[in-house]
Amino acid sequence: MSKLTETQFDSSEDELPEEIAFDQSKSVALKSVKDALESAKREKTLLKEKRKKRQQLFQEQKKKKCLPADVLQEFDEMPQRQTKASDNNSDDEETLNEEETISKTLQDSYSVMRLKDNSSAISLQQRATDFIQSRLYGPGTRRTTSAELLSLSRKKGTNQGAAVEFINKKISADCKAKAEKSNKRFRHKQKLVPS
Amino acid sequence: MGEFKVHQVRFFEYMPSGIRALAFHPKKERMAVARMDGSVEICHCSDRFYQEKVIPGREQCGIEALSWVGDRLFSAGLNGEITEYDLTNQKIKYTIDAYGGPIWSITGNKQGTHLAVGCEDGNVKLFEVTEDKIQFERNLARQKGRIISLSWHPSGSRIAAGMMDIIQVLNVEKGHSIHRMLVDKGVGKSRSKECVVWSVVYLSDGTIISGDSVGMVKMWDDQTGTLIKSHNVTKCDVLALSVSQSGDSLVAGTSEGTVVQFQFLSVVLGKDEKEWVRTRIFKSHTHDVRAVAEITTGVVSGGIDTQLVVTPLFDKAEVKSALRKVLFPHRKLVSCARKANLMLFQYSGHLELWRLGESEGIAEPDMSLPISRKPEKLLHLKVKGEEHIRCSSVSPCGEWIVYSTASSLRLYKLHCDNSNVSITKISKLPKVLSSASQLCFSSDSSHLFSASTQSSVHMVSLNKAGCKFMGTLKPKSGSKQPIHLLAPSEDGKWLASANSDHEVQIYDLQIRKPHCTVPTYSSAVSAMAIHPTTNCLFITHADQQMFEYSIEQKQYSDWSRSVQRTGLHRVWLDRDTPVTNVMFNPSNPSHIILHDSYMLCIIDQSLPLPDNSTQFYNQLTLRSLPEEQRKLYTHAFKVCKAFKEILCVEQISDQSLVVVERPLSDIITRLPKPIKQKKFAT
Repeated sequence: MSKLTETQFDSSEDELPEEIAFDQSKSVALKSVKDALESAKREKTLLKEKRKKRQQLFQEQKKKKCLPADVLQEFDEMPQRQTKASDNNSDDEETLNEEETISKTLQDSYSVMRLKDNSSAISLQQRATDFIQSRLYGPGTRRTTSAELLSLSRKKGTNQGAAVEFINKKISADCKAKAEKSNKRFRHKQKLVPS
Repeated sequence: MGEFKVHQVRFFEYMPSGIRALAFHPKKERMAVARMDGSVEICHCSDRFYQEKVIPGREQCGIEALSWVGDRLFSAGLNGEITEYDLTNQKIKYTIDAYGGPIWSITGNKQGTHLAVGCEDGNVKLFEVTEDKIQFERNLARQKGRIISLSWHPSGSRIAAGMMDIIQVLNVEKGHSIHRMLVDKGVGKSRSKECVVWSVVYLSDGTIISGDSVGMVKMWDDQTGTLIKSHNVTKCDVLALSVSQSGDSLVAGTSEGTVVQFQFLSVVLGKDEKEWVRTRIFKSHTHDVRAVAEITTGVVSGGIDTQLVVTPLFDKAEVKSALRKVLFPHRKLVSCARKANLMLFQYSGHLELWRLGESEGIAEPDMSLPISRKPEKLLHLKVKGEEHIRCSSVSPCGEWIVYSTASSLRLYKLHCDNSNVSITKISKLPKVLSSASQLCFSSDSSHLFSASTQSSVHMVSLNKAGCKFMGTLKPKSGSKQPIHLLAPSEDGKWLASANSDHEVQIYDLQIRKPHCTVPTYSSAVSAMAIHPTTNCLFITHADQQMFEYSIEQKQYSDWSRSVQRTGLHRVWLDRDTPVTNVMFNPSNPSHIILHDSYMLCIIDQSLPLPDNSTQFYNQLTLRSLPEEQRKLYTHAFKVCKAFKEILCVEQISDQSLVVVERPLSDIITRLPKPIKQKKFAT
């Protein structure tokens, strides 16, 4: 059909339409139907193949996850042996049942840990101290340093004196170290040559 | 007078711990003080707040609150545990985990039957107080949010719980909440944060008073569940509240360091309608005040600046007294090896051994000499485990070091060449030496005396091989209280011990039996020492009294009787820090050297005693007078105020003294940040 339409567009509009035999057009129609059917079939087979491949892949992955077959066999044999050996002892059965029930009810987010490794108690205490720290010393509180407090009392006191930074050797050393650090940062930032 | 070469030492970097909680026992007049490092001190309120008992702390303690239930002391902390203290043996009796997360508050009811604990998970847990333990009874209705503070109604039927933004009043019997009162968040920046109700107090007439982080003290009515009155006390947090025994006075401690007093007064004279009115403000602290307690005669406050301040309330006190500050601990933290020029400093978690420096040259009085050899640190000994050191000592020869925690005792032998210092631990200690409340070496370093339970002293002999248990010295009275002071005599024949029952027992070491007992005095012994030649026991007490007891004659000495007859000078008795060490002058047997936190004094027993009319601090005036006139004005007490904030004065060889100072400014600079206060012209 498409060929017919193409030739129609190529020739000029004034000419008479071409005469096409009935057989030709019938064969073309049948062919197109066949083509459609075949393409549908191909698509189906392709999908089937894809599904097969995926299934195979999943099976392989599943096999990888599982323990090797011989170990699984051992496990299958173990409960049989246990039930045979401790028929009289009901405790074992109960523990077995308990273990099974535990493993069934233990959710994915839960895990079994030793009490020694359990550090959640310390972290709760740490969280509580952090809460106090943030409420008393955190943002929003207006705090100043103790050195500042001492310097102010010296300024306002009866025997007026210099600020603590100039008297206490340790504090003055700390201040100098801080000043040197900030100078170094400034020089580095401004890309000045250190003098 | 007396010429001494004084080593002024400032390298003991002692850092006291901030005060976290106070609990007052009204009948026994004792104040329990809990510090941030977990240590608990029991101070006697009527005995100048002398620290009678000290329970050492531990690492990672996080203590938050203290409570007395009858005569028993409980504490709770952020580690989730409730601790009961054994006050007779100065240690922890047991701890119970409350299983509620960090505990913020603990309080006992007035009847002494139950203990309520406020936890992080929102539960108020009730514990029944049984004879020897506490038993978990039940939880009250669980709340959403952490419970920061609790207070029982005096009847025991209701509890007020201060939480984040709300105050809940709970019915104890049924556990359900009666009222839910919303605390206003305030204006400005504080609106964005939750308001923390740091402290609540439940009064007997049904008023609930709360202090919160906005800086308000609010009065609530528990019948209607509404706010009666709200007082804006400060711009920062109100951290602690305490109501007096009579219920008419309230104190609030703030973050700025101020303590505000409210009183329940009738606003109009003559009429009965009373209201809570803010009356006084005390600016006694530089840093946050985290605990306040109202005692019968005043207000006790303590906070992060580590000082315990006692402010007297003149309308309640009969005797007018000045403001007292307890600065330094009343126990000795420094011990000295006299013959080896070594000093042992006791920190909470480690010990430091230093060798003193030397100086050259002859100096005029009051001049400082240049140092030829600097003091050097020889040893830094850390304690194994989490517990803090309770007491420590170094032998006079400098070869033995011993320290004790609440549960163990360790003895070390020190080998000291000029540059090499090595230490060996004596592992095989006698089993009786488990823990000591006080430790002391004999003057010839041959014996170690360890004060343990039931006021008994274990005597251990030391030699090159190790130590050997010699015997136990038991007192006649059979007292169970712990010993806090030991004093051996110079000749090795006598040992004096003082315990918390105000008993001073003298033992004869040759037969290892009690020799005699000094008559009991009402105040605790703060320092004592035995004179090297006369064998007289010199005792000073917390109320500044002093006695001299002759051991061989078993009676007070004549000098002591004359002191009691004339009485001590008013200025001496008004001093607010106790004498913590007594020594004698080897070159002059009539001299006694003692010191407290602010002065060094030499008492000359050959000179006349001052009476109340003479000038007490007369050293400067005496110096200005010519020689002949001096004799008219001298008296026995010669006080030197050249040194301040003295932790310890010890005597070392050849006429030298060591003064260990701890400048307050050094301590303050290491404290956490205080609130910024806007002052004019700064």
